[in-house]
Amino acid sequence: MNREGAETYLRLLAEALIRGSLAAVPGSAWAEGPADGRTRMMAVGHALTAVGALGIETLEDIVADFDLAVNVRQQDQAAGREPRGGAPLAVPSSAVAGVLSSAAVGRWAARLHPARSAPLARASGLVWGWREAAEAAEAEDLANPETPDRFVPVGLSLPFRQESVSGELYLVSFAQTGSGARFIAAWPNRALARLGMLDPDSISLEWLTVTDDRGARYDLALVPGGGPGWAHVMSVWPPPPQDIRWLDIAAPPGPAVRVRLERQAPDAGDEPEVTEARLSPGEHLLTMLADRLLTTAPESWRDWRRQRAMASPGPLPAMTAGLGQIVAALEAADVLSPLSPVPARLAALCASMGFGGHGIAAAPAPDLPERWLSLLAHYQRRKPGMAPVRDGYAAVAAALPELDGIRLALLGLDNTEGCSSLHVLARGMTAEGQPGPLGVDLDFPLSLWLRDSGGRWHAARTAGRHRADTECVVRLRLVPPLPESADSIEVLAGGRSAEVRARLPLRWGCPT
Amino acid sequence: MTDIPNEPWFACLPPCEAHVPCGDGRHIVRWEAGALRLLSHPDPEGELVLAALGGDKARCVEVAQAWGRHAADLSVLAIGPRGPADEIALSWDDVDAAAQVGARGPGSYGPPRVAPIRLASPSIPTSARVQAQRQRMEQEMARTTQRRNDMLSLLALGYGFQVRLIGQVAEAHASPPDDQLAGVRPPLVAAISARVALAAEEWIGIDPDQVVVSLHRGPGWGSVELTGQGGQRRLQVSLPAGWLGRVWAAGLALAGRHLVVAVQRGGWPDARVLALRGPGTEPVPLEVHGRAPGPVSGGLDVRPGPADAPHWEI
Repeated sequence: MNREGAETYLRLLAEALIRGSLAAVPGSAWAEGPADGRTRMMAVGHALTAVGALGIETLEDIVADFDLAVNVRQQDQAAGREPRGGAPLAVPSSAVAGVLSSAAVGRWAARLHPARSAPLARASGLVWGWREAAEAAEAEDLANPETPDRFVPVGLSLPFRQESVSGELYLVSFAQTGSGARFIAAWPNRALARLGMLDPDSISLEWLTVTDDRGARYDLALVPGGGPGWAHVMSVWPPPPQDIRWLDIAAPPGPAVRVRLERQAPDAGDEPEVTEARLSPGEHLLTMLADRLLTTAPESWRDWRRQRAMASPGPLPAMTAGLGQIVAALEAADVLSPLSPVPARLAALCASMGFGGHGIAAAPAPDLPERWLSLLAHYQRRKPGMAPVRDGYAAVAAALPELDGIRLALLGLDNTEGCSSLHVLARGMTAEGQPGPLGVDLDFPLSLWLRDSGGRWHAARTAGRHRADTECVVRLRLVPPLPESADSIEVLAGGRSAEVRARLPLRWGCPT
Repeated sequence: MTDIPNEPWFACLPPCEAHVPCGDGRHIVRWEAGALRLLSHPDPEGELVLAALGGDKARCVEVAQAWGRHAADLSVLAIGPRGPADEIALSWDDVDAAAQVGARGPGSYGPPRVAPIRLASPSIPTSARVQAQRQRMEQEMARTTQRRNDMLSLLALGYGFQVRLIGQVAEAHASPPDDQLAGVRPPLVAAISARVALAAEEWIGIDPDQVVVSLHRGPGWGSVELTGQGGQRRLQVSLPAGWLGRVWAAGLALAGRHLVVAVQRGGWPDARVLALRGPGTEPVPLEVHGRAPGPVSGGLDVRPGPADAPHWEI
């Protein structure tokens, strides 16, 4: 890895952007606006920090200098002095007073509130705060690392009537690890709304009783922030012994439903296949960038063809505009071989999506991975106003082999309001909160795809997470949504070192 | 062919002056022979002692302190001007406005503070750790604010001071030990690239993005070669860090359609330089004579701009 090359590349990029501001030539990077230049700086900088070629402190210093250099020149232009060869940029007169300090203050603020989406935000120990720290300490006391993992697909509905509200609680899966036991459960939002309890943190589950096959009782508690929508994590306390066979869960007026906890190997699908990958850090990052582009498309272009016809700008062209610089930076840092096929695939992907101006020097590859083609085909044939998938959940649970130090366990699927989510338990993630280029989630550094039983691929993108101790329950949004007609899935998780494939049956249930 | 002459880096730079609002009036700050002089403050050290005891610190003294703090700060190279066409004309009012915004504290900026999460009984170690972390952040914030205010003050002195500070910073890193080279080479390469690229554009009409710079170390002045054609054309430039101070800061980058690569005999207003007629040629010695508009003597807002920079003729 060439750290000096990485830093030099970023500094030279800053110089090119500032030089563009001096020339103010239409079509230059700066002609698109100073914010665009900074965005490119950040994207390239984040790519370099993501692969470890540049320290975050160095990136912060370079960007702080860049911001100051830009802002003192904007102030000059705001005062009425024209830049060489062009009109001054429209900058408020308070540029110096207000904007000059943004980098420094942003850095400070980002460290105080690292969960916010400040440009240089990165999480530190403060991201949890006191409550989480105390919870972690408590969990540490009670965790038993020797406890074998247990992941059980449940797929049971638990009818309840509480005061004047009735509905069904859906138990999707049960997971027990050294850090504790929990259910992934689904609540219909409308039932919660009727209870006036849309804030899950305020929901008490004392009216639910849990008993095991020996008569021991357990408490259930919704994990704060344990899941958006109607899928939540319910902790089971104390963790059940490993040798119990079932748990009975009852809600008024009853009866109880029985959750069988015996190992369900025959139901858990085939054994996962592991294939060696050997991607360089740069290749892996570019692969995740491609995933990011593909999963951002539906948000940006609700009607793909109409937008293309209108050549309407949006976030996707802005994202792709800096890809060539990211590729060049990764090559300068010696984390991407000039002979790697991945940049050519990325160029082909951009071309398939109709985006020029990405700046990738490599000629577009003649072929693309099957899963990319599947998603592109979906976008291109999609009709406006297509019926969304129905609300529902699918019980699925399985542990995948360790991948790049991360152990994933699938905990369930749900369809809510037209969106599909896959819930996974991840262990071994570093969770530094370091921002990735163009929104890539570096805390979930895997490329994860699902192929449904109809042969269509669905890309996964992190949409939420809840961390407890060394584990993290992650909600992954699936693009496109998974239809209920799928009775099985093939999960493909890709890391730098290997790919894992697992085939799993699905059991769907629907709320009433 | 030639080694760096045994004379100070600023040998080709004439004195330079600026008016600084200080107390109730405006005082002259003068740069001369590589040092800043406060003509209205004969005993700045004594004033600093008084300021430490609670008195007001004169702005002239603050500026001199800022100059000293950043005389080896590589950020100066990234922020300061790239050439005469890149004038950064900050006024002292701009500096004051920025300082006032900064003085309101970090709460004045950025996202609103999130209410702290309450814990019934936070453990003492956890609470102490959070408090210590917060204190570190506040200290860092204070340092960052001072650094920004320093930079703005130094930029407000005008172009003449800006380029002299760049020269001083470059000279401070002109001969780094081997174990520190990797740390200073990227900012030095970027700084030379930024400035030589603009000079090369004027010299041979090449696109500045096609200028590729490396840092020259060892004997000799370096090299300048043109390679490739069309879109692949590159001007490969290898120059020492000292080029920034000895040549560029003195306004000597171009002299009579030549790219100046070194100073053979420094001096003001007469000097002898090594210059290239074209890429790939051997440098030729040129006798150059500098002209400057003269010392600042005008109104209160006078500060040395690019127009006041020395102009060299063969």
